[in-house]
Amino acid sequence: MVGQQFEPRTIEAPPRRAKILVLGLGNPLLGDDSVGLRVAQQVQAQLADRPEVEVAEDYWGGLRLMERLAGFERVIIVDAICSGGQPGTVRILSPDDMPTRHSASAHDADLRTALALGRQMGAGLPPNHDVHVVAIEAVDVWTFTEECTPAVKAGIENAVQTVLTLLAEWR
Amino acid sequence: MATRHVTIDPITRLEGHGKIDIFLDEQGDVADAFLQIPELRGFERFCVGRVAEDMPNLTSRICGVCPEAHHMASTKALDALFHVDPPPTAKKLREMFYCIFYATDHTTHFYALGGPDFVMGPDAPKEERNILGVIKKVGMEIGGKVIKMRADGHNLIKMIGGRAVHPNWGLPGGVSRGITEEQRCEIERLGREAIEFAKFSLQLFNQIVLGNRDYVKLVTSDAFTHRTYNMGTVDANNRVNFYDGMIRVVGPDGREHAKYHARDYRDYIAEHVEPWSYLKFPFLKKIGWKGFVDGEDSGLYKATPLSRLNAADGMATPLAQQEYERMYDALGGKPVNHTLATHWARLVELLYATERWVELATDPEITGDQYRVLPTQTPDEGVGCVEAPRGTLTHHYWTDGRGVLTKVNLIVGTTNNYAPINLSVKKAAQSLIRKGKIITEGLLNQVEMAFRAYDPCFGCATHYLPGQMPLTVIIRGPDGQVLRTIERR
Repeated sequence: MVGQQFEPRTIEAPPRRAKILVLGLGNPLLGDDSVGLRVAQQVQAQLADRPEVEVAEDYWGGLRLMERLAGFERVIIVDAICSGGQPGTVRILSPDDMPTRHSASAHDADLRTALALGRQMGAGLPPNHDVHVVAIEAVDVWTFTEECTPAVKAGIENAVQTVLTLLAEWR
Repeated sequence: MATRHVTIDPITRLEGHGKIDIFLDEQGDVADAFLQIPELRGFERFCVGRVAEDMPNLTSRICGVCPEAHHMASTKALDALFHVDPPPTAKKLREMFYCIFYATDHTTHFYALGGPDFVMGPDAPKEERNILGVIKKVGMEIGGKVIKMRADGHNLIKMIGGRAVHPNWGLPGGVSRGITEEQRCEIERLGREAIEFAKFSLQLFNQIVLGNRDYVKLVTSDAFTHRTYNMGTVDANNRVNFYDGMIRVVGPDGREHAKYHARDYRDYIAEHVEPWSYLKFPFLKKIGWKGFVDGEDSGLYKATPLSRLNAADGMATPLAQQEYERMYDALGGKPVNHTLATHWARLVELLYATERWVELATDPEITGDQYRVLPTQTPDEGVGCVEAPRGTLTHHYWTDGRGVLTKVNLIVGTTNNYAPINLSVKKAAQSLIRKGKIITEGLLNQVEMAFRAYDPCFGCATHYLPGQMPLTVIIRGPDGQVLRTIERR
């Protein structure tokens, strides 16, 4: 109908029982880029009964990622990183550590920008200091294969323990 | 103005982000510019031996931004592979789903991508040239509208396609399920709201961008103008269609060069290889490869929203047709060769996508229960094409008699544009580097604007965290020696 008005929306988080999100990010077909997904799977398997923790996998960055985080008080994102470090090493980063506010992708917002936008729009997002990025140094994220490289595979358990330690601190 | 030939070892480009090498001649002017982008490797090897029916799910993971496009092209390739023609309800459902995806995708990319370049202005500080700056400038209410469009689109895609983002839906001969009348009502309701949003976005663009003389000057400037061929898919009336039709290519002067069925693409498109890149550069076979130059005699072509509008005779829905005419009137007629007008074309397409969404949602066959025919013939070879938001997308599969893949060829939307992107980058650089003098900050912005207009897919199936800046520009002298490196900070 011409002229019909519509209500703009802010980001609505679905009602949640879980307050903490562990989100493995990656692409299951692109080698080391699957490491975040594998870590999430193992965290799920090793996590004792914690109804306030949701463990999930996802495949995007930017705005879609931000929308996924809405409604949680604390978030742990697990992902591959290519920063020239020793393959398989695990670091904990914050969105404030991310190098640039400009689009890291050619056509999306980077995480920090997306989070800032979400907060402006009234989404229930955790503050940046409660968004922890567990980053595993990758070797090859460009070759189609369902296997990680050996060094990255070797870093998975370390990453899993890093996540579980963080979760234990938040009881 | 001699330049020595320099070979760049392709191995050095494996950094996972865009790297631009600009070569200066002996006068200090730009002789050439090459954009090296990361490439996803080994896809064909990965696919061989898998069953073709897995491809709609596998290929939707190639692109983190438009998985629905790969899903659709792949499904159509399966139709062709199994020699099966889906019933009308299936085709209409697919097209409607696809228009909803388009509306969502074009919205996001205008506000997150074109918006920052236009609404903020090319000279705005880089911290503000992102969606946050746009919302700050145009208002929270608009931010809310963008969020709503995304949320509605994603929910409908999940409702129809069976799963959020990676649809679980396309089958050879149709789709796995239809829609109920209740779902149809919801789709129609949200579609009508989406039309209003699209109209609103065009209004905003007109006010903010076209109302500003500096922008208009920028859009029509020589730095952002190329006279290349243009490619898009058209229906039986030569109107833009995203889902199906014939592929049409028109020349820089607008005359039709070719119109062909997707399965014949190899009679019209060939690929050129350069020693400094793993990428292949598609070009029009019948014109030939003449290097990174534009004009009627160069086989370079573009496949972008603007190309689609150039390649068609109009839009198939009334409101979009009005905007189509308004755009061409404002920019001096058809075809438009100004790269930055792609952002405008994207909004015209957004409006068409929403109108077509409602047209299909109100089609009497859309809730029909004939949404699949079963294949009965032995598979062998098939091509499926759709218009991805970034350009014509082609999936080509070969299988044995069991439907197990023996070979795969994909031309993704952005691949069509590799050569023109290089041309655009070169032109943008030429206006900012003269006689060895480099305008540094302007250079990065301008070069980025040049390739961002194409909304390129630079291996965005990977979303790993970049440890370094996303763009590096290396300026080299005639010997190839590095004079300066500029990185985004």
